[in-house]
Amino acid sequence: MSLLELTKISKHFGGVRALHEVDLSVDAGEVVALIGDNGAGKSTLVKIVSGVESPDTGEIRVRGESARLVSPRAAAEAGIRTVFQDLSLCDNLDAVQNLFLGQEKYGPMWSGRRIRRHVMEEHAHRILESLSVKLRSLNTPVVALSGGQRQGIAICRALISDPAVVILDEPTAALGVSQRAEVLDLIHRLRDQGRGVVVISHDMKDVRQVADRVVALRLGSKVAEFRRGEYTPSDLVGAMTGAHEGDSSVPAGATEGDEL
Amino acid sequence: MSTATASAPDTQRTPAGRAIEMVTGGNRSIPVLIVLAIIWTVFYSQSSAYLSFQNITNLTLQIATTAILALGVVFVLLVGEIDLSSAVLSGVCAAIAAGLAVNSGLALPLAIAVAIGAGMAITLIEALVITFGVPSLIVTLGGMVILQGLILVVLPPEFTVSVAGTSFAKIASTAVPAGASYVLAAVGTVAFAAYRFFVYRERISTGTRTSPVSIVVPSVLVAVVLFGGVYTLTRQRGLPMPVLIVAVMLLIAWYFTTQTRYGIHLYAVGGDREAAQRAGVPVRRMVIYSFLILGACAAVAGMVDASRQLGVSVTSGAGPLMLNAIAAAVVGGTSLFGGRGSIWSAILGALVIGSISNGVQLLGLTTEVQYFATGAVLIIAVAVDVVLTRGSLWPGRR
Ligand SMILES: Nc1ncnc2c1ncn2[C@@H]1O[C@H](COP(=O)(O)OP(=O)(O)OP(=O)(O)O)[C@@H](O)[C@H]1O
Ligand SMILES: [Mg+2]
Repeated sequence: MSLLELTKISKHFGGVRALHEVDLSVDAGEVVALIGDNGAGKSTLVKIVSGVESPDTGEIRVRGESARLVSPRAAAEAGIRTVFQDLSLCDNLDAVQNLFLGQEKYGPMWSGRRIRRHVMEEHAHRILESLSVKLRSLNTPVVALSGGQRQGIAICRALISDPAVVILDEPTAALGVSQRAEVLDLIHRLRDQGRGVVVISHDMKDVRQVADRVVALRLGSKVAEFRRGEYTPSDLVGAMTGAHEGDSSVPAGATEGDEL
Repeated sequence: MSTATASAPDTQRTPAGRAIEMVTGGNRSIPVLIVLAIIWTVFYSQSSAYLSFQNITNLTLQIATTAILALGVVFVLLVGEIDLSSAVLSGVCAAIAAGLAVNSGLALPLAIAVAIGAGMAITLIEALVITFGVPSLIVTLGGMVILQGLILVVLPPEFTVSVAGTSFAKIASTAVPAGASYVLAAVGTVAFAAYRFFVYRERISTGTRTSPVSIVVPSVLVAVVLFGGVYTLTRQRGLPMPVLIVAVMLLIAWYFTTQTRYGIHLYAVGGDREAAQRAGVPVRRMVIYSFLILGACAAVAGMVDASRQLGVSVTSGAGPLMLNAIAAAVVGGTSLFGGRGSIWSAILGALVIGSISNGVQLLGLTTEVQYFATGAVLIIAVAVDVVLTRGSLWPGRR
């Protein structure tokens, strides 16, 4: 039984078909890489699984049971945590506040839900250390931190509630060489802990290094699926661009991604 | 890689940005205190009566209304909204309270409760329209005009309610005797120190970094402010009730904005709505809460003002009050762009603006000087806000 199973998920934005009958499953202790060109629908799929967007049609099952992920909170409660492509950190809050945002540890009602900062800080120290994220101070607003530090905080945030499924949208895109290696190492560790991991990446080297299974999206449809060792780099590129079908052009409506 | 720009905005500060950060030390209250010190020095050098006990007491009474309203405005600014209607709303609430207490003979506490309820009901309606998607600038601009009509409806046919000689007038004219004021200051200091000690023990228990300095320094600061304030303000007839009201409201606001989950969510919504939403923060509810707080603050501000002016009329809440309250919040260091600032900006900003107009009047300067100075201070404060928000002195650079 899969930890997470999507069947025939479709999603439109106005006239744009972002996803069309996509199937995807993640098992415990498995890393699934999701690849595709800009605008292929990867981030949209992530948003659906994390409760930010809801699908037009299709079914989501968590541990075999049908689930409705109507809000980020519902997804978190189902054990699915996401590191978004834009990290979704609040720049004005500090590391601890960002790590626990929406899942703070707080005191009883009569105290006005007083924040148990000492507990959160101690937990934050542990989790940041476990992923070797180095911060000079836990009290500075994250806007003042480097791209790698912010990425580290975003990943740690996803792990704080001990989720069964972790989704990482472009986790290495902003990182330098050594931090990139650390994140890949971390993905392995998450898998070894028995979690299901979905990684979205543009980088074929990363994909080959971490993925047990590779799912390729193109123009919103799933076009190929490979197991570890059963593909060559050119298979991946071919699936992403549609080169095998002799069609490498991408319709204008689907070219712009969510960056820039 | 195309995605690098999206996920890692370049946050390396420019030298200018760093310099500003150094001056402010991340704490926006310090530059405001410096500005305040400059203003006081300038006026004091012109007239030594400026810093007399009597004039300082006058000043605090003059700014009480602005400070209370500004406190409500801070909550709305922190979630990234704006409000233009709360000054007129304060007049409406004062008219309701005075009408009920003086003309209808309702018990004063009941009249006050009804007025606060009315203020919150009106801002609730505004907030619902805003969370529906209409920009707060427009909703509260329209709201301001509607409320200007409503105050005519609420006031009796002669369009004024006099509260002179009634229990309503006592709200502002009551003074806590010096002895009792010192007891209050002592209780406040001890309670604060005890709270810091409690936090210190908590942090020790989980092995998080702390030091006894975190008890001593803030407690000494609080003691200096409380005892200094009581000493200065009780030289005349005792501690004026409006000052006590402002102090209690600031205390409550400080606790909820800095010590509770509510506070974190408040700042999160102002910092990045989308991110807050994704993290599970109830964004719409937080916006509504801020407007409810503003409604309550407006009602209290209106009643304190009416009590001080000994009446309510069509001009209650009109004039420069709205602009002064927003200016106070912004001058005090709360960002117009949401998510940055603190409740202290309400009192500090009100002090800056009040100190200017008080000094101008004391020196017998013409009114235009006051307008020029207040306007200039506001623009400078917003310019500083803009620079801090983009992290660079120059437009187009990050
Ligand atoms: N909120 C939205 N409104 C309208 N169209 C959208 C929205 N979000 C995504 N789209 C469209 O859906 C399609 C898929 O976008 P998506 O962001 O999922 O692509 P992606 O695979 O993540 O691309 P990238 O590699 O650039 O991140 C694109 O054509 C995009 O323009
Ligand atoms: Mg994307």
